[in-house]
Amino acid sequence: MVNAMKEGWSTFKSIFIGMSVTIRHFFGPTVTLQYPDERYELPKNSRAKLYVNIDDCIGCNLCARACPVNCIDIETVAATADVDLGKTSTGNPKRFWLTQFDIDMAKCMYCDLCVHPCPTNCIYMVSEYEYSEFDRTNLVFHFSNLKPEMVAEVKEKAEIEAEEKKKQREEMAKKKAEEAKMKKEIEAKKKEHQKPGNDSNAPSKPDNNGGA
Amino acid sequence: MELTTILFYLFSIVTITAAAVMVFSNNIVHSAFALMFTLIGVAALYVLLYADFLAATQLLVYVGGILILILFGIMLTTQGKSLSFKTSTVNIAPASILSVAAAALLIYAFVKTDWKITESGVRDETVHEMGMMLMGEYILPFIVVGVLLLIAIIGAILMATRLSAHNDGEV
Amino acid sequence: MINTIATTANALTILVYAAIPLTIILVYALVAIWAERKIAGFIQDRLGPMRVGGWHGWAQSIADLLKLIQKEDIIPTNASRFLFKFAPFMMFAASYAAFAVIPFSSGYIGSNINIGVFYLLAVTSLLTLSIIMAAWASNNKWSLLGGMRSAAQMVSYEVPTIATVLTVIVVSGSLNLMTVTEMQSGNDILGFLPNWFIFQNPFLLVAFVIFFISILAESHRVPFDLPESESELVAGYQTEYSGIRWAMFMLAEYADMLLLSLLGATLFFGGWNSPFGEFMSGPLWGFFWYMLKGLLLVFVMMWIRWTLPRYRVDQLMHICWSILIPLSFINLVLVALWELIF
Repeated sequence: MVNAMKEGWSTFKSIFIGMSVTIRHFFGPTVTLQYPDERYELPKNSRAKLYVNIDDCIGCNLCARACPVNCIDIETVAATADVDLGKTSTGNPKRFWLTQFDIDMAKCMYCDLCVHPCPTNCIYMVSEYEYSEFDRTNLVFHFSNLKPEMVAEVKEKAEIEAEEKKKQREEMAKKKAEEAKMKKEIEAKKKEHQKPGNDSNAPSKPDNNGGA
Repeated sequence: MELTTILFYLFSIVTITAAAVMVFSNNIVHSAFALMFTLIGVAALYVLLYADFLAATQLLVYVGGILILILFGIMLTTQGKSLSFKTSTVNIAPASILSVAAAALLIYAFVKTDWKITESGVRDETVHEMGMMLMGEYILPFIVVGVLLLIAIIGAILMATRLSAHNDGEV
Repeated sequence: MINTIATTANALTILVYAAIPLTIILVYALVAIWAERKIAGFIQDRLGPMRVGGWHGWAQSIADLLKLIQKEDIIPTNASRFLFKFAPFMMFAASYAAFAVIPFSSGYIGSNINIGVFYLLAVTSLLTLSIIMAAWASNNKWSLLGGMRSAAQMVSYEVPTIATVLTVIVVSGSLNLMTVTEMQSGNDILGFLPNWFIFQNPFLLVAFVIFFISILAESHRVPFDLPESESELVAGYQTEYSGIRWAMFMLAEYADMLLLSLLGATLFFGGWNSPFGEFMSGPLWGFFWYMLKGLLLVFVMMWIRWTLPRYRVDQLMHICWSILIPLSFINLVLVALWELIF
């Protein structure tokens, strides 16, 4: 009987303790953040999205090479001699048109490895995290600020210049080749007189490219 | 027609239909639920006869108690999903003779009796009178019934405890 | 002809009169479901529904109701069609019918019959049957298990409920809830306390505790929500239901909660009597006080729901048969003795 009463008392006591806990929480503050209306400020060094300050980019491709998942896609076109692209805010001269600078955030793994190699500190992580999309192709962010017609113009110019340079180079190469030929002929003539059977052995040498 | 009359016919139809369903249904659970409608209909008829206490008792004891026990019994004892059974039709001849005789007797009694129709005045003190009668005139049957129920309860407890003790011993 | 018109008018009056509790139940159910979610939220340091309707999501239940009405009414192929369709409406009808004897204020009671409490307890026993009906008709293991548990639980807990109601009847000497309420008016105890039964007699306090525990079990509230335990029985007898039929179950359940809370308020807390005696009394104030008392009890039920875990079946039966029933009967005798002596 005494035991039963004790048990009953402890039951009621524990129920009331539990209920006092819940009522304190009932009147206590809530911890809910009403998300679309309120947001947490993420810390400054949080990695949520990659951003490129395209004005500072020199098109060195170091970030793309550092990326372990190949989510950065850069296409550069050399600036022709008649344009001066100016300098970055860090003082580096810009030598390339950036015709394409795409980052696929669907692939990005937020490792921060692309940020450190950048010589001008123009690629970095920002705290913006609300960029979900229904189509994952929309997660490719285009940072190049060149218009398509501009891109075409630049490319054409660069091609023309490249062509010219190529011609020049070819001419140079021709000249060099001719010079070299002349030299060779002279030497060959000299060799012919010294060792007549040496040339026929050369092609049968073993190829050791694989080892290199 | 008065509202009471309409209600009387309504509940009579409910009672009779449910009773028919109960008898003719092939599914024992359907029969049990049809019995529920019959009992509720009878309770409503009691109310129309100014027997409100009896009506409530009917609901509480028959619908709330016995019917639930019946359903419990059906569900705990029947094996498998199929609860269908065949309503027995073996004793057609004696059964029909008996029922016709009973019906004839009832109709005869109904026609021959000199029904005394009293004024259906509204009575609101049924409980008080009933209590007085139970505690005064009918005290002996009341106590006997109480003792009977007590014996039944003790018997049930005894059976249950013996059964569980037996089970414990086995395990 | 005149008689017919009179009858029709009479029937209309009866209908309007009977619709008053229905309105109260419907409004209450909407508010209570919203409140339950808010209370759950606040107790768990959350906010609960916030977005529908502006201030604290007050229109959430209305939106849910509209959604439930539009939903497809799914009936399982192997279900017993008539019983399956009928059960939710019968359940609501049972709890609604019981509101007939609830004295909402000194000016309104559905039916001022002399067997009030007895009728109420008799009619609520139909709830059990409708739950078994739904459970069996669904043809689903979870449902049937829930239905069987519900039947066992409600049949068992009806005994302490009736025993504690009986203690109050012993004190009041009337089964009529209006009379019971009228007996509790005035402020005479210790000079200022209202004449409520809970203050009149120390054993009635014990009776109230037993009564409250039993009505928790009767209305399937936590910690006695075994018939519909979501985590083990997948909502028990409601498993196969959807749309408006499920909403009827929900409505019936909340109506049952309110019904039993209001019964408790009548029996122990003076019904529509104002706690300040003559101050702030009258039919409308009476309704206000009565609903306040009932809703406070409903709030305690919700509060308990978010505090206590669920009991096991054997613990449930142990609490009922070996603690509450003996205790309530001893208490009944003690109350009767107290009434004899004082």
